[in-house]
Amino acid sequence: MKNNDMRQQLVQLGNGAHAMATQILGNTDDAADAVHDVFAKVLRKPHVYNADKGPFTPWFLRVVRNHCIDLIRRRHPGGVDVETLSDPGPGPQTSLEIAQRDQALQLALTKLPDLQRQIIVLRDYMDLSYAEIASVLNIAQGTVMSRLHRARMALKEELDRHG
Amino acid sequence: MVNEKRPLEKHVGELLSGFIDGELTQQQRQWVTLHCDECDECRQDLARLQALRERIGNARLSEVGEDQWRENMNDPIVQSSRSIGWLLIIAGMLVIAGIGLFAFIFGSDLSIGEKLLMIAVYGGLASLFFSVLRQRLIERKTDKYKDVEI
Repeated sequence: MKNNDMRQQLVQLGNGAHAMATQILGNTDDAADAVHDVFAKVLRKPHVYNADKGPFTPWFLRVVRNHCIDLIRRRHPGGVDVETLSDPGPGPQTSLEIAQRDQALQLALTKLPDLQRQIIVLRDYMDLSYAEIASVLNIAQGTVMSRLHRARMALKEELDRHG
Repeated sequence: MVNEKRPLEKHVGELLSGFIDGELTQQQRQWVTLHCDECDECRQDLARLQALRERIGNARLSEVGEDQWRENMNDPIVQSSRSIGWLLIIAGMLVIAGIGLFAFIFGSDLSIGEKLLMIAVYGGLASLFFSVLRQRLIERKTDKYKDVEI
């Protein structure tokens, strides 16, 4: 892939990657830093991406996700189960920044387990296919539907409870 | 035939998500459609899930603009080396200008009137240069078409 094409794709993926990183790290500033780090890494070594192994979007999101998990592991050297990582919730700055309508949604998302938040963002916010989601999250494609459904039902319950 | 395999009392569950995502086989889609025609609970769940999906899709979960991603995409090493380069050039030019000014004021044979006249001319030129430069920099920062490639 040409460098300019890659830059253009990265710009378009920036917000989605940021939304996903926010769900993992629980903080928009840390998430933005993480996405910038990955941008720099990818642009420094663009040959690392092999187009024969699949499309760019899931590959890039997987790199972002792995980077975020590395950051969390560095914060908690004792070991963290990223599958069940509970979120600290949005900081006060985050709550002020987001619109009121989305605030309830963001808050409800923070109540879900880490993987459920990510799967919802990947599907409903970024519009990835089940195959791409499986690739990003490194899970079997056959389990995406059931996981996503559980996540949506859990989110719906949270929203019903708190608005 | 489908109904025989999947009785009405068994809700479609996760297939609802597959249905709204367009990830079901034709047979599964038929089954969900038939089931939702008969089952109020699943029909309501389907409507709620569709509304939820739309809400998430329209939400702003990231407030960072594309311009910001573009600006921050440059390699930090390139950015810092560029900053250092500019700093060195500006510092060198200031030192040279200082030495030149000192030599002009204290070292030349011109009268005070001639010196003041020269200072006024060069001072005016420098003032105009910085005014134009400042305007250009402000325009560059706010020009939303700056990245359009022709």
